Amino acid sequence: MELETQPKSPGTGGGRRSFLWKRFKKQKVLHLFVGLGMIYLLIFAYTPMFGILMAFKDYSISGGIKGIFTSDWVGLRYFDEFVHDYQFGKLVRNTLVLSLLKVIFAFPAPILLAIMLNEVKHMAFKRFVQTISYLPHFISWVVVVGVSYAFLSADVGVVNKALMAMGFTDEPLAFLTSPNYFWGLAVGSAVWKEMGWWTIIFLAAISGISPSLYEAAEIDGAGRLARIRYITLPGMKGTIVVVLVLTIGSILGGGLVGSNFEQAYLLGNSINNPTSEIVQTYAFRVGLSDGRFSYAAAIDLIQSVISVALIFSSNYIAKRVSGSSLF
Amino acid sequence: MLKSQRQKDFVFDSVIYVVLFIIMLTMLYPFYYVLIASFNKGSDSLLGGVYLWPRNFTLENYRVFMDDPKWVKAFLVSVLRTVSGTLLGLLLTSIVAYGLSHRDLLFSKVYFTVIVFAMYFSGGLIPYYVVLRSLGLLNSFAVYIIPSMLSTFFLLIAISFFREIPAELKESAHIDGAGELTIFFRIILPVSTPVLATMALFMGVGQWNSWLDSAYFVQSEELRTLAFRMMEVINKSNSPMDSLAVANSASAGVTSFSLQVTSMVVSIVPIICVYPFLQKYFVHGIMLGSVKG
Repeated sequence: MELETQPKSPGTGGGRRSFLWKRFKKQKVLHLFVGLGMIYLLIFAYTPMFGILMAFKDYSISGGIKGIFTSDWVGLRYFDEFVHDYQFGKLVRNTLVLSLLKVIFAFPAPILLAIMLNEVKHMAFKRFVQTISYLPHFISWVVVVGVSYAFLSADVGVVNKALMAMGFTDEPLAFLTSPNYFWGLAVGSAVWKEMGWWTIIFLAAISGISPSLYEAAEIDGAGRLARIRYITLPGMKGTIVVVLVLTIGSILGGGLVGSNFEQAYLLGNSINNPTSEIVQTYAFRVGLSDGRFSYAAAIDLIQSVISVALIFSSNYIAKRVSGSSLF
Repeated sequence: MLKSQRQKDFVFDSVIYVVLFIIMLTMLYPFYYVLIASFNKGSDSLLGGVYLWPRNFTLENYRVFMDDPKWVKAFLVSVLRTVSGTLLGLLLTSIVAYGLSHRDLLFSKVYFTVIVFAMYFSGGLIPYYVVLRSLGLLNSFAVYIIPSMLSTFFLLIAISFFREIPAELKESAHIDGAGELTIFFRIILPVSTPVLATMALFMGVGQWNSWLDSAYFVQSEELRTLAFRMMEVINKSNSPMDSLAVANSASAGVTSFSLQVTSMVVSIVPIICVYPFLQKYFVHGIMLGSVKG
């Protein structure tokens, strides 16, 4: 490093190899530090990746890690079985609809909130709204579902009590136990939970826009809406594209706009199952609950392949269309 | 002309303030409602109409909660995993990030490829389960801590933060004869409060809220977390089968609903307590992550 006491004369000594070795020795503590992380990733990230093999094999849990390599190949049998599963159509539809609805509603919400917050001139009010709006991000899905229960259930729910007291309905509405309401419930709670959080990033993007642009526009007679349309939104474009790419890439997992799995698992029940059962909850049930490891691994694999394909293609399209991209 | 512009602005501002006020209420009221419901007599809450303050004030819900060894144990497990998981996670993440923050580190390209690849690809739940099982981590307290000690996301945030620390700080310590460990613990960590606080908040909240690992990897009743127990009681009353089941019929007026809201308050309060102190850090922290990640 910079602390070489004797100047090194180039061209002498053992050449490049021993030079590298010297540098490595000098950095050995650092390599030890990094090495810890590499070993960790090897165990907890890379070994499971080899486990993908079990989707193509007749794996039994008694085989342990070694069994991943030693069990018999069955080719695409489990993939075939999943595609012909009587629930396949329902699972794919529910997964896609839930993910799409979340992109449609949960992705624009923080952009709108950021734009509105940017128009607020009372700093104290702005900061207060902001602080409150990202609080739900830190609350677990379990609590969010508990809150939904307290508000929406047929017997104790505040909403039903209020609707009946005001005479809007005679019977309590079965928000939590009817297939008709599940998608609205899932998307609504995802927006509620994550809207404020993603606002942070969009507000940061807005704060990077030069104030002189707004001043110039004002002199030219642009009203507030015109300024939002021609200055604020174009100024956020790069960030919007990056967040959109991220959102689409993690669409199947629910990623940025709330975990699909946790929602479907916690808000799902035997009655709303026709709309609430998704690929992930199904994989969980047949995998860890029923012990069909290879079958569940195959279902998992299909899903992650689609996710990776989505993130690369949306990134490619974003780069082509707008010039901004994630990588 | 000027006047109508001002009128337009007034309408525009009013709409924005009203909308923001409504958003704020919808974010705040659920928390408030859960709080008052936890102080209201359970059987009375079922009648409805409790909107603004407890109608039938009682501490019975909290008494039942604290008298139940199941809840107390779950609370303790959650506290223990949050504290130890956060500390160990911070330690490993910052050590590895410190090494990687040196731009002249040999093989750093290889190291970063390993990290970024692990960020985008994963084996999925089932192979992960098999690995944890082979390591003997299933059904132990360690399964809460060890597998979550290093996340690639935090690693990248910490690296970009460490890179902003002036190199002179390290150089002068080197000249004074300090080794990497001394530099790391005595110089780097103390000046890294913002990023450490950000990571501590995220790791801590993640640990505190986690119930999935308790559901997946643990069977022992002793090791259940608060979030898991809450999930159990919410899921049970949410299922159409027994929506009115009384949790503990021996105690006056306590229902499964009032026990739920009480456990929710117990799980939210610690987060609300640390949140204001760490808030100023994490806004900066998430920005670092979003720009470089």
